[in-house]
Amino acid sequence: MSGALFHEQTARQRIAALADAGSFVELLPPPERITSPYLAQLGIPVSFDDGLVIGHAKIGGKKIYLAAQVGQFVGGAVGEIHGAKLTGLFKAAARDKLPCVLIIESGGVRLHEGSAGEIAIAETMRAIFECRALKVPTIAVIATDIGAYGGIGILSTCCDFRIMTEHGRLGISGPIVIEKWMGKKAYDSANRALVWKTSGGKTKYLLGDADALVHDTSEAVRDGIAKLLAKSSAVSLASVKARQKDLEKRLKRFGATEDPDAVWKSMGVRNIEAASLASGPEFAALAKRGK
Amino acid sequence: MKKPTSKKPSARAVLARLFGPSAKGIAIEKSVVTGYATVGGAKVCVIGTCDGTYIDNEAALRLAAHVIQCIDRQPKTPIVMLVDSAGQEPNRVAEMLGLASYFGHLLSCLELARRKGHTLITVATGQAVGGAFLCYGMFADRIYALASASVGLMPISAMSAVTKIPASVLQKLSKTMPSLEFGAEPFALLGGVEEVWSATDDVQAKLAQAIATSTPEDNRAELGKKRGGRKLALDIRKKVLAESAR
Repeated sequence: MSGALFHEQTARQRIAALADAGSFVELLPPPERITSPYLAQLGIPVSFDDGLVIGHAKIGGKKIYLAAQVGQFVGGAVGEIHGAKLTGLFKAAARDKLPCVLIIESGGVRLHEGSAGEIAIAETMRAIFECRALKVPTIAVIATDIGAYGGIGILSTCCDFRIMTEHGRLGISGPIVIEKWMGKKAYDSANRALVWKTSGGKTKYLLGDADALVHDTSEAVRDGIAKLLAKSSAVSLASVKARQKDLEKRLKRFGATEDPDAVWKSMGVRNIEAASLASGPEFAALAKRGK
Repeated sequence: MKKPTSKKPSARAVLARLFGPSAKGIAIEKSVVTGYATVGGAKVCVIGTCDGTYIDNEAALRLAAHVIQCIDRQPKTPIVMLVDSAGQEPNRVAEMLGLASYFGHLLSCLELARRKGHTLITVATGQAVGGAFLCYGMFADRIYALASASVGLMPISAMSAVTKIPASVLQKLSKTMPSLEFGAEPFALLGGVEEVWSATDDVQAKLAQAIATSTPEDNRAELGKKRGGRKLALDIRKKVLAESAR
C-alpha cells in the first residue's frame, strides 16, 4: 500500500493500510449479512456491512477501535444498523478504555431510513462523550470530498481531534443544497475552488477546526493518528470558556466576509497561489495557525 | 373567527404554559430563548429556540454562553431546553466559519453541564427537525414533546423530493416503519421521545416529574426496541459489545 493516495482507497483498503499488518479484526463482518430492512423494502440494493466497517486493530503496536464509512454505499449515510454499529463501537472503546478512530465519509443521515439514523447519530454523540469523560481519545479522519456533512459533520466536532487532508470537507449543508437555497450567484457549487475554500481541510485547519492537516497518503494519515493516540482533549469549564471566546472572535472577525481568500490572508497566508498548491504540512508551514 | 386548530400558540404562550408566572424571567431575543424560571417550586435554567427560527452561529453561541453561565453561577440547576427551529439555514459564510464547530461547542457545554450534575430535559415545542434538534435538544438526558410539535428528520414529501422515491411508496411503508413517519408520536415509538404531552396535560406537573425522574443514561435504544419502532438498534449495539469482548 506504500504511496497509495488515501482518498482513492476503499474503506477496507484504508483500514488495511492504517493498521499494523494483519492486526485488523472486523466486528459484524460481511458474512454475518446484517443488512438494512428499509433499503430492502424500497428495492434498493443492500450491503452486507451496511456501509460501515468496524473492528479493532493495532497502530504502532497499540490496540485501538477503528471504523471506516463506505462512501460508495448510499453516500456513507447513517441508517439504523450503520448507526448502531457506530454507537456500539464507541461504547466498546469506553468500556475497554481504548482509543477510537473513525474514518469519515458520509453525507449524514440516510434519508431512506428516516428518523432512525438521526437518533443513532445522537446516541453516538453521547457515546463519544462517554469516551471523552474517561480520557479515551476519539479521533475523526476526514479525507475525501464526500466529507463529513449533515449530522456526521456535527458528530465529527464532538470528537477530541479531527485529522484532515486537503481533499477532506467538513460542514453541515453541502454546496448543492446551499446553491439551491441562496442562488447560484451567492454560491456556485460548480466553482470548485470556492467549494474547497469554504469547507475544505485547509480552511478548517487555518480556523482551528481541524487539529492536523496531513498529506493525502495512508502513511501520513497513520502518522497523524499515531501522534494523537496518547492525547485527549478534556471538556472543562476553562476549555469551554476559551472555546466560546475563540468562536465569538471568529464570528466577529469573519462573519461578514464573503471572500475565503480574505480569511486565508487574515489567518497568515501571504501567497494564496502557493498555498493552494501546497499539501498538508507544507501548507501549514505557510500559514501560522489561527487561535 | 379563526379556527383554533390553525393558530399556533405564541412563544410567550408556550413559555407561560410550561413555567406559569415564572416565565417572566425568560428572555426572547431574535427567537433565541434564555433565562431562568421555576418548575415545581425549584429553579431551572431555560435555553431554546422559538418561532421555528433558523439556528445559526450566533444563536449557538448565545445558547452556549447561557449554559456556561448556568454552570458557573447556578451549580446543578436543571437545564430545560425548548426546541422550535426549522434547522440551520443553508448559508455559505456560516459553513466557511464552521457552523458544525459552533454546534459541537454547544454540545460540549451541555456535556460539561451533565458531568457537573445538571439534569438536562428537552421539550420539543414546535419544529424539532434535522440539525437544529441534533445540536442541543437530542442531547438531553430525557426528551419530551408537545403533541402539536413537528418532530423528526423531515416530512415524507421532503424525503420523497430528495430520494426520488414516490411519496405514496414512503407513505405506505411508514405504516409499518414509523421511522419514515414524521411527528412526535412516531418519534416516540423509535425511543427518540420519552413521552408526548397532549393539549390537556398539566405540562408544569409533567415537567417537574420529568426533572425528578431523569437519569443521565441514554435509554433511547431500549425504548425504541420495547415500543417496536426501532427493532434493530439495541441488538446490533449489543452484538458489537459482545463480539468485541471476545
